[in-house]
Order: sequence, then C-alpha cells, then structure tokens
Amino acid sequence: MTINQAQTSPLPTVEAETDVALEGPWRVVVLNDPVNLMSYVVLVFRKVFGFSETTARKHMTQVHEDGRSIVWCGLREQAEHYAFVLQHWHLTAILEPNETD
Amino acid sequence: MKRIEVKLSLGVVAPLLDVIKAVESSLEDELAADLPMEQVDVDLRDDWRAELVSEQNGDVARLLALFDSDFFASGTVAFDEDNADSILKACAAVRLRLRDRFLDQISDEMLERGDVELEELDDDDRRAFMCYLFLATVQELIIEHLESGILDS
Repeated sequence: MTINQAQTSPLPTVEAETDVALEGPWRVVVLNDPVNLMSYVVLVFRKVFGFSETTARKHMTQVHEDGRSIVWCGLREQAEHYAFVLQHWHLTAILEPNETD
Repeated sequence: MKRIEVKLSLGVVAPLLDVIKAVESSLEDELAADLPMEQVDVDLRDDWRAELVSEQNGDVARLLALFDSDFFASGTVAFDEDNADSILKACAAVRLRLRDRFLDQISDEMLERGDVELEELDDDDRRAFMCYLFLATVQELIIEHLESGILDS
C-alpha cells in the first residue's frame, strides 16, 4: 500500500525539487573596487551582517587581495535583501547561485 | 548623542564644493557606479535601481547641506549619529563618481596607494583628486569617532 501510493503520486517530489532550484541557496559576493576605504568596508560588513571586527576584516582582506569574498549564503530572498543593502552602501555586491551545495 | 565638530579651511574646501555640486548634477538619474544586476529579477530591476538612485541622491544632498551659511561663517561642520550613515554613503558615491569621471587615467594600484603625482594632473583633475582625498578624510573622521553609534543605529 505504501509503495503503491508513492508510485502513483510523483508530483510532490517534482514540486519539491522545483522549490529548491528557485529558493536557494544563493551567495552574496562582494567584489573589489579601488575606491572604498578598507575601514569603510569593514564598518559596512559589521553593520549589515553584525560581523565581529575580526570576521569583517577577514572578508575585507579577501575582497582586497582576491578580488571577491562570499559574505553570505542562504535563501534567495534574504540574499537579495543583503545585496540591496550593500549596494545602498556603494559596495559592488552581486548574487550568485551557490553551485557547490 | 555623540557629535563631532570639524573646523575646515574655507579657502581649501570652498573650491571642492563646486566639484561635489557638479557630481550631484551628474548623478540625477544615475548610480555613482554601474552595478551588475544580471541576477536580479527583471521585474524588480527598475524599482531596485530607482530606489538606490533616490537614496544616493538624498545622501549627496545631505552632504552638501552641511556646507551652508553657518559653515561659511564659522568654517565648521558637525557630524553625529543622525547624519553619519548618510554622509558616509554620500562620500562613497561622490568618490566613485570622481574616479569614474576624472580619475580614470590613474591605475587602481596607484589610486589605492594614493601614489598620484598631482603635477601630472590638469586643473580639473587635480581639484577632483583633492576632493576625492577630502571626502576620504571625512569618512575616516566619522568612522574613527562615531563607529559605535553607527553600528548601534
């Protein structure tokens, strides 16, 4: 009985896979720019994400040295919110699907 | 509320205000720097950009409002926890625009190090670079003295 129900009700499985593809996970990535001060970038990371000074400085250094840093990963809607707020602060923030997950 | 007052040289700062005003005019319907929006929903993109432009322009207007008749009488501007966020963002926007419009001949590395030969710049570019440095100093002052208030707000 249980096996038969599963075999004759494939739709819920398909819907679940679709939800995952649309909803997440997504990355918020900050790209380097030659203009914004290091102290400013650290402050923005602390304010937007509540990072400690150490964590914010680690991400800032990664942006500066590697050209980019993944500062947040999670559901699409929240990722959009963070990218939007970072752009308000004039950081170059982009969204990327988190393809490694 | 924590507040700092900064005494500025009118003779040095007044010419830089013209640079900021010119940038303000150029930003009317534009962002200070192009932003990659490929991953933003197409339906959201216009509203997203419009809100960024609106806040950016409000911030720049607030920066310019610091330099009112009181400033020209006293040479003093004041920063506090109410205006710190806006002024910081405005400085970032104007600096990004200056880099794009006047300082694009300077390499990223030279700009990051501040390793720029002023004598090699023409008058407009030199004034733009002085404005670029002035606004960085404003940001550093605000961050140094008002950081805790900014983080708590």
